[in-house]
Amino acid sequence: MVFWTDIYYVFKREFYAVFRDHAVLTFFVALMLGYPVVYTFIYSNEVAREVPVAVVDHSKSALSREFIRNWNATASVDVVARCEDMESARLLMYKKDIYGILEIPADFSKNVVRGEQAHVSLYCDMGALLNYKALLTAGTDVSLAMGKDIQVRGMEYATEIAEQMVSSPVRIQDVKLFNPQGGFTSFLIPAVLILVVQQSLLLGVGTITGTERDRRRRGVLLPDNRHFRRPARVVLGKAFAYLPIYFVMSYWVFFIVPRLFGMTQVGGRGELMLFLFPFLLACTFFAIAMSFFSREREMPFLIFVFTSVPLMFISGISWPKSAIPEYWVWFGKLFPSSFGIDGFVKINNTGATLSEVLPEFWGLCILMVFYFIVACLLYKREYKKLKINKG
Amino acid sequence: MRENIKALGVLMKREIRMLAGRRIYWFVMIFAPLFCFLFFMDLLKDGLPEKLPVAVVDEDNTTTSRSLVRSLNTFAQTDVVMRTANFSEAREALQRGDVYGIFYVPADFRRDASTGGEPVLSFYTNDSYFLAGSLLYKDMRMQSNLANGAVQQTLLLAKGEGGPLLAAKLMPIVLDTHPLNNPWLSYAVYLANFLLPAFLCMFVMFTTVYSISEEIKRRTSREWLEKGNGSIILALMGKLIPQALVFTAMGMLALSMLYGYAHFPLNSGFFPMFLAMVLMILASQCFALFVTGMTRRSRIALSACALWGVLSFSICGFTYPVRSMPELAQIGSNLFQMRHYFLIYVDQALNGIPMVFSWQSYAALMVYLFLPIFILPKLKSDLLEFKYLP
Repeated sequence: MVFWTDIYYVFKREFYAVFRDHAVLTFFVALMLGYPVVYTFIYSNEVAREVPVAVVDHSKSALSREFIRNWNATASVDVVARCEDMESARLLMYKKDIYGILEIPADFSKNVVRGEQAHVSLYCDMGALLNYKALLTAGTDVSLAMGKDIQVRGMEYATEIAEQMVSSPVRIQDVKLFNPQGGFTSFLIPAVLILVVQQSLLLGVGTITGTERDRRRRGVLLPDNRHFRRPARVVLGKAFAYLPIYFVMSYWVFFIVPRLFGMTQVGGRGELMLFLFPFLLACTFFAIAMSFFSREREMPFLIFVFTSVPLMFISGISWPKSAIPEYWVWFGKLFPSSFGIDGFVKINNTGATLSEVLPEFWGLCILMVFYFIVACLLYKREYKKLKINKG
Repeated sequence: MRENIKALGVLMKREIRMLAGRRIYWFVMIFAPLFCFLFFMDLLKDGLPEKLPVAVVDEDNTTTSRSLVRSLNTFAQTDVVMRTANFSEAREALQRGDVYGIFYVPADFRRDASTGGEPVLSFYTNDSYFLAGSLLYKDMRMQSNLANGAVQQTLLLAKGEGGPLLAAKLMPIVLDTHPLNNPWLSYAVYLANFLLPAFLCMFVMFTTVYSISEEIKRRTSREWLEKGNGSIILALMGKLIPQALVFTAMGMLALSMLYGYAHFPLNSGFFPMFLAMVLMILASQCFALFVTGMTRRSRIALSACALWGVLSFSICGFTYPVRSMPELAQIGSNLFQMRHYFLIYVDQALNGIPMVFSWQSYAALMVYLFLPIFILPKLKSDLLEFKYLP
């Protein structure tokens, strides 16, 4: 019974601490509400469209004009300038009016008519790889499609089927799975959602701990109070205070935000919830343990904020996991977000079931137990310090 | 005048003692940036991810299909780790994240290809992993086109057509691409060149806000001002110059890692990037100073800087072009120091065009240097009152 009264006492204190402190509420509520929306807004157009380019057409033939027309007609390209020579086109690129130059050589149409291979050159500004990708894909599509026409035209006296056979004996079908627009939102946002939960807990709990230390002399964290004698009860009491808030906020972050912005969402709701439960617990204990680094109210910013970006990369979302050095992958396993992102993306984006993400699930459970023990040990040390101070 | 110089010396000494005496400053100014630099230089050292795992579903299983798979495996970015005749097995591997793509050769592929049955080669990429997905897409698409070409070639040769014009028959129009100044299409070049300075920018802002708010919190701000002969400008210079020097040294370290150690393109020579780096650091200090003056709570100033620093990573357009963002975000991006640094980097280090073309970005960074003027009087009265608000 004492067990529960202690926990209830800690819970109550912590609950008040959260709701009385605007800083903590900002992290727990405002950050969770606003951040996903801001991110989704930035990437809401998903892909690069109508990239401005210039064309230098030395051939000036019907065929070269057809190439330019077809290229301009794709969604990725917008021909905004036609230049006489490369020099003037380059100047436009310096001024950032255009991001690519298409040069068609003088012998372009002559070569085609003669049955020789014709070349066109595409020069791309590499400041943004997404622009390059858009221009390249559109250019390849056009050159292949026109090439096919030319192949067919070159075959006199052929039946339609024979024409078809020679020009494209094999059909090609490509399927972009789980992210049909091939866009940025569906790929980046799931990772951001998971990270925002972990990082906001780190910041919020760090602020609470820092404030406690600020208030008490000699930087002792625990109040001199009989309910705080058992570390496990302190940790559980605190966790029970944060978790209800995070259950509510997580519903917004993981279920409403994706729906609001029409992101891929194919996973089973129940499975996802089952998976997220150990994730939230692991994050909570992780945050409680890490909050011991925070010696002052303002300190969580300095020590936790920057970690989001390396954690994003280490999770295998931005940079494929097979290309990450082994030791970083192992290092990443210390953080709930790595398992969290992996599992969340698999369930939410690719429709995996819980049994297919068992490694991540158990990983989170292990982290949960591990950080619970770490947090308890840290509080035990703190309690000893308190006793020494008193004695 | 001489008095002021003397006071400045005293202030700077005081500041250096403060910075060196506390672990948190060592962390924010040296260790955390260093960790970020080393982490990303190590993570991105290959430039482009190689050997991305794919599964092949070969229902045809003839010499033709096997040679298709073999040549797919020779692409540097593709690694066939799984061969199966069962599609759902491959799909499960994709869902588990073991492979990023599936290359599917249907049954009777060879027979259909040679008899005009038009078989369909399919490939699937998991675009939840954007980079892996698009790199594999490129390889598999190329391989499918090659397959097409190979079949055409056999057909044409069988008809007795051949010789030098065969290439033209197979591919009448060729698109030659020239990715300017990054011919290796290295992702490391464009990620690291932005990430390293962006971390520095964030730490500069944190250090500025934190070190000023500590003076108020520890009730030393009046003493600090008195040492500066009561001049807020002098006091701030004494505080911020030592920090700027440390961060400039860190910035030089970042630049030498990028252009010296990793040999990323530096077509402008050293000076334009050095200037950009110094201006970016000063601009970040001034921005942080401005935010500190605007609000009386250091926590809000820190929140603002944290938001600013983290948003920089997305809104400056180094992965997703600013031009493709919504109008509001396009306008907003101009408010970020890192956006201007990034534009300078693209012009100077990457493209090496004359500095005249980047004058707007340099000028924009200089505008930040004037921001503190607006808050100096208010900051001074805050410092004199030293009322710390939690």
